[in-house]
Amino acid sequence: MLRRTFLAASLASGLLGTRLTAAWAADAYIDASAKFIGELAETAIATLTDQNLDKAARRQKFRELFNQSFAVRGIALYVLGRYRKRATEAELSEYLQLFEDVIVNTWADRFTDYAGQKFDVNGATGTPSGSDKENAALVSSTFYTDPNTPVEIEWRVNSNGTVYKITDVKVAGLSLAKTQQDEFGSVIRANGNNVSALINKLREMRDS
Amino acid sequence: MQFNFRPLAIARIVAAISLAGTLGACALPPKDDPEALAEFKAANDPFEPANRLVFAMNNTVDTLILQPVAVTYRDLAPVELKTPFENVITNLLMPLSIIHALLQGDMERADKAAQRFAGGVATLMLGNTLPSEEPVYEDAGQTLGVWGVDSGPYVMLPLLGPSNFRDTTGTVLDFFMDPVGYIARPGGSIARGVSRATINRSKNVDAVRDLERNSLDYYAAVRSLYRQRRDAQIDNGQGESQPTSPTIGIDSDAPKPTTGANANGSADAPKADGG
Repeated sequence: MLRRTFLAASLASGLLGTRLTAAWAADAYIDASAKFIGELAETAIATLTDQNLDKAARRQKFRELFNQSFAVRGIALYVLGRYRKRATEAELSEYLQLFEDVIVNTWADRFTDYAGQKFDVNGATGTPSGSDKENAALVSSTFYTDPNTPVEIEWRVNSNGTVYKITDVKVAGLSLAKTQQDEFGSVIRANGNNVSALINKLREMRDS
Repeated sequence: MQFNFRPLAIARIVAAISLAGTLGACALPPKDDPEALAEFKAANDPFEPANRLVFAMNNTVDTLILQPVAVTYRDLAPVELKTPFENVITNLLMPLSIIHALLQGDMERADKAAQRFAGGVATLMLGNTLPSEEPVYEDAGQTLGVWGVDSGPYVMLPLLGPSNFRDTTGTVLDFFMDPVGYIARPGGSIARGVSRATINRSKNVDAVRDLERNSLDYYAAVRSLYRQRRDAQIDNGQGESQPTSPTIGIDSDAPKPTTGANANGSADAPKADGG
């Protein structure tokens, strides 16, 4: 009896082991996504918190990193939502440029005051990507603005085997892309469904 | 009598909100455009004009009273005082959390809240350190959400801030359900409420300022954040019900007009007739 139980147990654990190994191989993108975020954070903190950088140079460096690691156009189109159809070609291209500029300006400037912060990648899980050509992973991380103030940041990373791009960032469980979509939609709705109203506001913000 | 102050006040607020809604401060749903109608329903904010007014008043009160108090507390209160004070306030919310975790059938979180509460009592008496784990906060709004009650329209409550029909009901229910409230009424629960508001506000002074400054529509941003936060609290961060931005992918990112990720390519992209 005891022997049979042992046999069953070892058989089960053997099977489980095989399953886990197979799952690990198929899910290599999950670990790679976590590594991608860890390396990006390291690069960002190393280059952007340099106190010798002036405002323009910091923004320029941020823009490079942002375009390399984020699905900027994809995020911008998601944020515009259903109003994309209402935008003319010229409006759309101006919107895409302004979206990038405004994010670069606000986020690059935030790094000015950062110094000596800690960033930990805690782990990653797979998540539906919405496309059979891509994988998506949620990478969880903790950013410490000071030792007593941890902020949970979750990165949604899409990958297709070669390219890794961030498609959303959740801060304390709140999606930046979703928030911005709701906000931009509200601006357009309040102005007679005109995308040009949003563009004007974005232009004001960029130039302020 | 002071005892009746809070339910009366809440009843007045609710009445004021519904009155504001019926008095024609109500946004009308768009009739001829099905897409706009769908959007109107998604925003779920039929009282938007009234809500924006209350939001503006709340922000004034915040700027004049709450924010200065919170900043003073943040910058001047010594850490040796802050930590025990914040722990006491947190622990006084745990009995309510235990009740709601049980009502939601979540034994694990009920246990966590109970341990936190017991740990807090021991700390007060023996000077033990508190667990570093985040405390469990549950309330009647979350319980109703777990039970499948729809959020209902979004409302901006005077002084209390963003809410919706479900969570407003929850606030009223919690007034009657909170064991600490019964023991410490009336002064104690008001003091706890004010303390908690001050502590919470003191922790997000910079974040709120940043959001206000960098929003195109501050009201809409707060509305979106409130909804997301409540949804996350209801499923305790475990839910797959609302995957983030599911339509964004590398594919949708592909046809970039200015090719290459190099710096000049982006910086020199057409800026149209801006500036």
